[in-house]
Amino acid sequence: MGFMAFLKKLTTRRKPEDTADVEALRIDFKERYHHFKLLLNANSNALSAMADMEKALSGIYPFSMSFVRSRCTQVSVNVFQMIQHMHKLAPGKFPALDERFVHIRHELDSVFKAEKQIPDKRLVIPFKDIHREMADIVGNKMANLGEIRNKTRFPVPPGFALSTYACDRFFEHNGLQMEIDRKLQAVDGDDLQVLYQLSSEIQQLIIRSSVPDDLKDAMQEAWREISGNGERPLKVALRSSALGEDAAGSSFAGQYLSALNVGVEDFFDAYKEVVASKYSLPAMSYRLSRGIRDEDVLMSVGCMAMVEAVSGGVAYSRNPVDMQDGGVFINSAWGLPKSVVDGTTDCDILVVSRETPMKVIHRSIADKARKYVCYPEEGVCRMDLTEDDRRRNLSVTEEQAVSLAGIAVSLEEYYGFPVDMEWALDPDGNLLVLQCRPLMLKEKAGEPLSEAENAKNPEAVIVKGGITASPGAASGVVHKVEKGADVLMFPQGAVLVTDQALPRWAPLINRAAAVITGQGGFAGHLANVTREFGVPGLFGVSGILEKVGNGEMITVDADRLTVYRGKVEVPRTFPAAKSVMAGSPVYEILKQAAGSIVPLNLLDPDSRDFTASNCRTFHDITRFIHEKSVQEMFNFGKEHHFPERSSKQLYDKVPMQWWILNLDDGFSEEITGRYVRLENIACAPMLAFWEGFAAIPWEGPPAIDGGGFASVMFRATADTALTTGVRSKYSDRNYFMISKNFCSLSSRLGFHFSIMEALVSRRISENYITFQFKGGAANFERKLKRVIFIGEILEQYGFRVDIHEDNLVSRIEGREEPYMLDRMKILGYLTLHTRQLDMIMANPGRVAYYRSKIEKDIERLIQTG
Amino acid sequence: MMEKITVLLVDDEKDFLSTMAKRLGKRGLNPLRAETGEAAIDLLKHQPVDVVVLDVKMPGMDGIATLREIKKIDPLIEVIMLTGHASVEAAIQGMELGAFDYLMKPTEIDELCYKLEDAYRKKNLQEQKIRQMERQWK
Repeated sequence: MGFMAFLKKLTTRRKPEDTADVEALRIDFKERYHHFKLLLNANSNALSAMADMEKALSGIYPFSMSFVRSRCTQVSVNVFQMIQHMHKLAPGKFPALDERFVHIRHELDSVFKAEKQIPDKRLVIPFKDIHREMADIVGNKMANLGEIRNKTRFPVPPGFALSTYACDRFFEHNGLQMEIDRKLQAVDGDDLQVLYQLSSEIQQLIIRSSVPDDLKDAMQEAWREISGNGERPLKVALRSSALGEDAAGSSFAGQYLSALNVGVEDFFDAYKEVVASKYSLPAMSYRLSRGIRDEDVLMSVGCMAMVEAVSGGVAYSRNPVDMQDGGVFINSAWGLPKSVVDGTTDCDILVVSRETPMKVIHRSIADKARKYVCYPEEGVCRMDLTEDDRRRNLSVTEEQAVSLAGIAVSLEEYYGFPVDMEWALDPDGNLLVLQCRPLMLKEKAGEPLSEAENAKNPEAVIVKGGITASPGAASGVVHKVEKGADVLMFPQGAVLVTDQALPRWAPLINRAAAVITGQGGFAGHLANVTREFGVPGLFGVSGILEKVGNGEMITVDADRLTVYRGKVEVPRTFPAAKSVMAGSPVYEILKQAAGSIVPLNLLDPDSRDFTASNCRTFHDITRFIHEKSVQEMFNFGKEHHFPERSSKQLYDKVPMQWWILNLDDGFSEEITGRYVRLENIACAPMLAFWEGFAAIPWEGPPAIDGGGFASVMFRATADTALTTGVRSKYSDRNYFMISKNFCSLSSRLGFHFSIMEALVSRRISENYITFQFKGGAANFERKLKRVIFIGEILEQYGFRVDIHEDNLVSRIEGREEPYMLDRMKILGYLTLHTRQLDMIMANPGRVAYYRSKIEKDIERLIQTG
Repeated sequence: MMEKITVLLVDDEKDFLSTMAKRLGKRGLNPLRAETGEAAIDLLKHQPVDVVVLDVKMPGMDGIATLREIKKIDPLIEVIMLTGHASVEAAIQGMELGAFDYLMKPTEIDELCYKLEDAYRKKNLQEQKIRQMERQWK
């Protein structure tokens, strides 16, 4: 626009005589107001996403990558919108905002980059070609097994692995990842019920999908190879071998499915089930609570010739609850090692000395009530054992135990860390290694209590016995878990009491104060998970289900193998469990992203540094734009000599010292004169505020003049400086900017200064009120006391309050209209009545008196509304 | 009361389309449907639409490409992007191409209605302004 044209436009605007110009100006105002309103909405949305992020950063609540992505996206989109609207309100005025936005956005992009690439495109890889460095292709479990087979030469059954690329191929063939991500984004938080539903949906989705032909072909070829072209009968065990198991020192114990004794014709059904178990409830809730990204967990599946084990179990190269202990622990039961791994039956424990010659130094024989065996056709079955079945006999000979210990120690030396090794004894008497992974270790638990100490609470002891699956002690109410549905009812902080130590209870561990099981030892998956989460676990306490009742408060001392009635103080031998979220991969990504979003550097709008180019975070941008947009809206009204839209003095029986600027539809009719009457105001939040302000006169401290303070507030003065014609900084006086649903108030009453902003309409989710308050005439200490006093009252009525020095910032949002309007009344009331409270803040008696008067007044105010 | 806003829903998920159309209809809007970006573009060439609700990930012409085409047909049509896959990068790309907003599934129906009203009002004000300018120039 040329200068002359500009001048012409200016003059036409200043004298909007013909109706077309007036109409144009009206549309202009409406459009500006709409931008302003959208800007405020965007501001609210951005702030609420930031609040979510801050809450997550406390590290107490679990959250997923989709939470991080969606919140970052929400903030980015809304900040982008704010900038666009700001440009509309003040064209060309703040070009630096765009540059700042792009800069911060690039910071965010780099946080989310780093996509995972699979380096190897082989679908199926035979064990003979697998070694330790291939964990990114076949998962840790299979990489370790290949290494053992090919390097240490300990016996491992033949087999092959379907690589992570194969799984990728399968997912891609069916467009699964996209669909799963969509489902995941649809739920937030860690509600077990929701997670349960989601888990079953996703697993079904995977199971219903089809396997691409190239994957089928590759599998058939590998199958032919290990079955000698079909000459040897072959069944396999399918085991998940996931990537990312090492993340944050986590074990992923027992979350994934294994399929035992599977024939070639059902191979891919089993494969799909195993792959789907990445989304089992235990696995999903585990990743969520440990902050592990879904995309970091790639599933490879190992397929190993099935061993029809006579007996089997787990060997530990160290004592998992006391790494100083030199013994090697052999857990053993009849049949397949499954019963030991699942913790479904008690098992024999043999401890073998580490020193050569190695020998058994301790043995405890369990009554092994059942065993798992292979069906001739397919699958496995659980058999109850009778006395004739040697159920009380040792399921492994001492000689075999020493051999196993030898293998375990060799593997520990080979790998350089203690190991947890699954083994089986085949019908020909050969010992085979089925799996090997790092052993989770715990510090040694405290010394047992002396007899004297133990005798302190003899009457409170419910039961003694079992074994320490995970050290520590804790109290809580009993919640028995016997079937799947009980999982969903589990209250936070209860003591989980169950008969069998099944892996399916794992999702409850991070909600439980402690765990007691009737059966199962420290070698099971559930025991591993309790140790990992630092939750005290007392396992193998026979008959526990009959000894405690649901809802009963008990104390579990896992170190001393004791369960007490009620809450009993037991000396802690172990540090309390800490947040597992902090330090996890997902947490670190959120922390990094939040660094570009959440910190607020622009604090003081009056400072020289309060500029667009000084915005370093998205929060800075929102703060800056909010401040500037309010000013722009205000100034626009002032700069146009447009009688409809210049500010009007409020007239409530008499002229008041309050000026009102109508942004859009704040008046019930067009007002052209100097005053606007209260009855012509259509702004609901302002009317509510005014109701609170005018309801109860101030009875307070000594009157300033004969009529008391209230009379000053309510009587118009003849001060010409307060008339509309005279320019002054808007913050020097009491100004409302209003529309039907919005009002913004800047007021300076006496020595204090407050800013209030409210959007209240039927759109509940958009509703908010912010109230800021600063200053006062009294000394700093009394000012501070008053701010805290006001803050307490606001909190009592649902505001979120932040206080920095004598500056109070409070906010409430997302509540229904009547509730919000009541809050406006409260703010109106407080604006008048707390005005001089700092004068009496030094006197506790007076403070108590005013506190109770204020509460009574407010209750009356809200009820009559 | 809400004016009769004509909304075009574009999503490859049929269930989502029909449920959403039904619910928006009950709230007094006039919902149209398209299952692909291509179908949406065809429809827009023949029928006036106020606001488009556009899924980001669709087979064939994806959301971003469709958005580009829509803005070529009529820059005043407002477009709300809807996605099951939050991504800062994709979101800002859409916003830069002139999307009114970028929402994440699942979006509450009321929330979506507010956005539709706001988008419609923006379009409406722009049209009024253009008409006014045309009158002044005459």
